[in-house]
Amino acid sequence: MRTTSADLHTLTGAYAVNALSEIERAAFETHLTRCESCAVEVAELAATAARLGVAVESPPPPQLRARVLAAAAETRQVSPHAARVPNPRRVRWAGGLLAAACLVAAVFVTVQYTESDQDRQLAQLSSEYSRFSDFLSTPDAKLINGKAPNGATGTAVVSASRDEALFLAKDLPDPGDGRIYQLWLIGADKDPHPAGLLQSRSTPVVVSGLTGAKEVALTVEPSGGSEKPSTPPVMAMPLV
Amino acid sequence: MPERERALQSLPRTPRDVGPTADELLALVARGDEAAFERLYDVVSGSVFGLIRRVVRDQAQSEEVFQEVMLEVWRTATRFDPDRGSANTWILTLTHRRAVDRVRSAQAATHREDRAARLDPGRPFDEVSEQVDGRLEQRQVRRCLSFLTELQRESVLLAYYQGYSYPEVASLLSIPLGTVKTRMRDGLIRLRDCMGVTG
Repeated sequence: MRTTSADLHTLTGAYAVNALSEIERAAFETHLTRCESCAVEVAELAATAARLGVAVESPPPPQLRARVLAAAAETRQVSPHAARVPNPRRVRWAGGLLAAACLVAAVFVTVQYTESDQDRQLAQLSSEYSRFSDFLSTPDAKLINGKAPNGATGTAVVSASRDEALFLAKDLPDPGDGRIYQLWLIGADKDPHPAGLLQSRSTPVVVSGLTGAKEVALTVEPSGGSEKPSTPPVMAMPLV
Repeated sequence: MPERERALQSLPRTPRDVGPTADELLALVARGDEAAFERLYDVVSGSVFGLIRRVVRDQAQSEEVFQEVMLEVWRTATRFDPDRGSANTWILTLTHRRAVDRVRSAQAATHREDRAARLDPGRPFDEVSEQVDGRLEQRQVRRCLSFLTELQRESVLLAYYQGYSYPEVASLLSIPLGTVKTRMRDGLIRLRDCMGVTG
């Protein structure tokens, strides 16, 4: 079965009940800006979910009332400006993009703070930032999840039209001194092809040339990477 | 008399079911009207606290999250856009997001699998059933939930009331990830149609 953006459409329910991870939520919100029918459905399903909230109502302890009201009296409200521009769809788009981009930028900041040349660092950051936010907004972006036995998770945003995937891992254990995580693309012939190194355990990696690949896998290799995997995969995710 | 006070006084001062709606009050709150916020508190605090308590469970933490959410409602009321949904939905969406954030960050410290294993998947619906005898909309929720297939109902309720991500729901129910996504969507669509929700 060929799956494209249909996969993202089916996330409306999971999004409405807040069951997506942060990166999926960001990608989905970006997708929403391109998909009017999804946005309408999300609004309806969010309103439906809210009814489930009302159904379990239970009064807060009475002493909280005065505390909340006093806190409000001392709290400045945010500027309405962001929400009052003429086209709400545009705002939603910017919000989703920003969330996705912030996520990626945060990852890059933690990875690159050791670079001495700050200008270069910023230039690189901003170019990666636009690359990733651009990626997350691809209309046919599809999300794939993987899990390693130790609880580490991997998320790949796959775009068939771009022939690329963005891979991001979370909670991967330290691969050990002189070792590094390496990604592999595995085709129908079961032959793994090197697909990039994770410069740190939480660095996003863009994998190109997906054509024919059925699976993406992650192994621990000597730093510098290998031609062929030298250890069993810690994680494997089907691409199709 | 300042304009916002006049606006508030023109609203009927009656009990919540026939009083100003959350939408009317939130519009006043957006203009810095503290009296309107007080009345909004009375209208929505039960749903907000009830939902947080359901997801977070722990009383002390629930109270903390509740105060944060109510303050965020005050602070960001200026950004509420009625064209994109009702005030009630906006507030409960925010509430659910914060409650789930709290559960997930606490969860990072404990073991996901343990927490999942302790759970009896039949529980959320039973608990709703117990509590929803009272008001009309609660009875409607219960009635509409009964039209869902078991997998649809469990998928929606485990995510909504327990704050589980869909991969967690999938492992609890032993169903594939793709299936849980579609069950959540199908279940919510069925609820939406049963309740006549228009967004």
